Amino acid sequence: MIQFHNVFLAYQKDATALQNVSFSVAKGEFVFLTGPSGAGKTSLLRLIYGALTPSRGQVLIDGQNVSRLTSSQLPFLRRSIGVVFQDFKLLQNRTVFENVAITLEVQGGGSKADISKRVMHILRQMGMESKISLTPQRLSGGEQQRVALARALVNEPKILLADEPTGNLDDANKMQIMNIFKEANVRGTTVVVATHDRRLIEHAHYRIIRLQNGELADNGEVRNEEIH
Amino acid sequence: MKKFTNKRPAMTTPGAQGRLRYFIGRALSNIRQNVFVNVVTVGTITLALLIVSLFLLLFVNLENAADNWSEKVQVTVYFDKELTPQEQSDLKNKIQALPATSKVTWVGRDEALKRFKGRLKGQETLLEGIRPEVLPTSFEISLKKASRSSEDVAAYVAKLKNIQGIGEIQYGEEWVRRFNTFLTFMRIVGGLVGGFLVLAVIFIVSNTIQLTIYARRDELEVMSLVGATRLFIKMPYLLEGLLQGLAGGVLALLLLLAVHLLFLHNAGNFLTFNPATAGLAFLPPEYSAGLLGAGAMLGFLGSLAALRRFINEITG
Repeated sequence: MIQFHNVFLAYQKDATALQNVSFSVAKGEFVFLTGPSGAGKTSLLRLIYGALTPSRGQVLIDGQNVSRLTSSQLPFLRRSIGVVFQDFKLLQNRTVFENVAITLEVQGGGSKADISKRVMHILRQMGMESKISLTPQRLSGGEQQRVALARALVNEPKILLADEPTGNLDDANKMQIMNIFKEANVRGTTVVVATHDRRLIEHAHYRIIRLQNGELADNGEVRNEEIH
Repeated sequence: MKKFTNKRPAMTTPGAQGRLRYFIGRALSNIRQNVFVNVVTVGTITLALLIVSLFLLLFVNLENAADNWSEKVQVTVYFDKELTPQEQSDLKNKIQALPATSKVTWVGRDEALKRFKGRLKGQETLLEGIRPEVLPTSFEISLKKASRSSEDVAAYVAKLKNIQGIGEIQYGEEWVRRFNTFLTFMRIVGGLVGGFLVLAVIFIVSNTIQLTIYARRDELEVMSLVGATRLFIKMPYLLEGLLQGLAGGVLALLLLLAVHLLFLHNAGNFLTFNPATAGLAFLPPEYSAGLLGAGAMLGFLGSLAALRRFINEITG
């Protein structure tokens, strides 16, 4: 599903974000991407959804080289990937409903009634149905995270990427978010969660890919106590 | 997984209508949500188009004045002897048959003396005792608009000379040449000033619209990240630019009309130098329609230019 072949990423000549990273994630797998701040986790996720292009090497999604996709093909890759951003990227002048509906609207996701039905369904799953008409400023951090998650999952993507999804959440909210990831994974979605939150990783026993200073420090199962 | 080479359904499918409605709805909601920025943009377009349209008004009136002046490009054929009515008629028909001829007028001796007296108003006594017979008779020939250049007039005179029985020909060669030089100069200056104004307007409008788009860069980024195509992201903003430009065009035209009615309608004949047409004429309908079209086009192109920079940054 996701393959990295000897990927290098340099923002400038002397500032390398990733060095010779190779790994693969199978279809339907759940993977934690971990490592300290600045290890290259966010850059790696951005390479997957085509927001960055590797300086060297290849990133393949379902066998297709992401950096070879044209600007008219890239949107179709992104439609198959749901992304939960570290800063949520919610539109502050739009309601909860509109923030989630935007995913379906840009993808031509059926009639207004269809879109409304699907948005309400996912917001109900997230426990946010009573807040559909609020703007993000009026939501707590946990609620904003759930709206961001609803936006990423509303079109049932093949891949779900989450960048530090539990950053500022309390334990109860963390577990709720984690359960939503698990449910998506059970339904067949490949999930990659970038985090350096030990408690989150300890909670579930999934494969862990560890980055250190832009290099792949571990590609497989890592015991929890080895994580820093 | 589905390959990523899917193309969006063509705009002719039934779904396209819904999509177009969505784009228009988005454009209108963008305008409602950003009233201030839109007012600034429409105001800038209005001001810019008002300047262009004032220039256009001046230019159109100058062209009209030039047209009036060019009526004076006239060829006169003098005859020493009195022509018989048959000779007059034959010659007039031959002159009229030349393609460049617009109007041929016979000026008899009595009429010539009357005109002469008219020119010497206040000093008519000088002409006392002068009989009409001393003045020549003549044909005054007006030329068609397209045949008033120096070269055309010279060619016309050459053809006229070939007509049997024609007399002495005068046509104010130097005046015609100077008048045509002036017209050419006026058009070149007009074209340069007009071109410069249009470029300045495009630059200003593009930058103002860029401010509008910059204010919504988060929205554009999110749309791109959730899989919107470039066209899908651009379309509402292009429509918005089109509407802004059209609104600017309408306002500029209304302001121009107000300025015209208040100040220019009854202005002196300083421009036309023609007492019969005191004041400036308003823009002809085709120019007014052109101004609206230009407004819409400006808004559209301004948006397009501003979007190109942003979309490339956002969509990678």
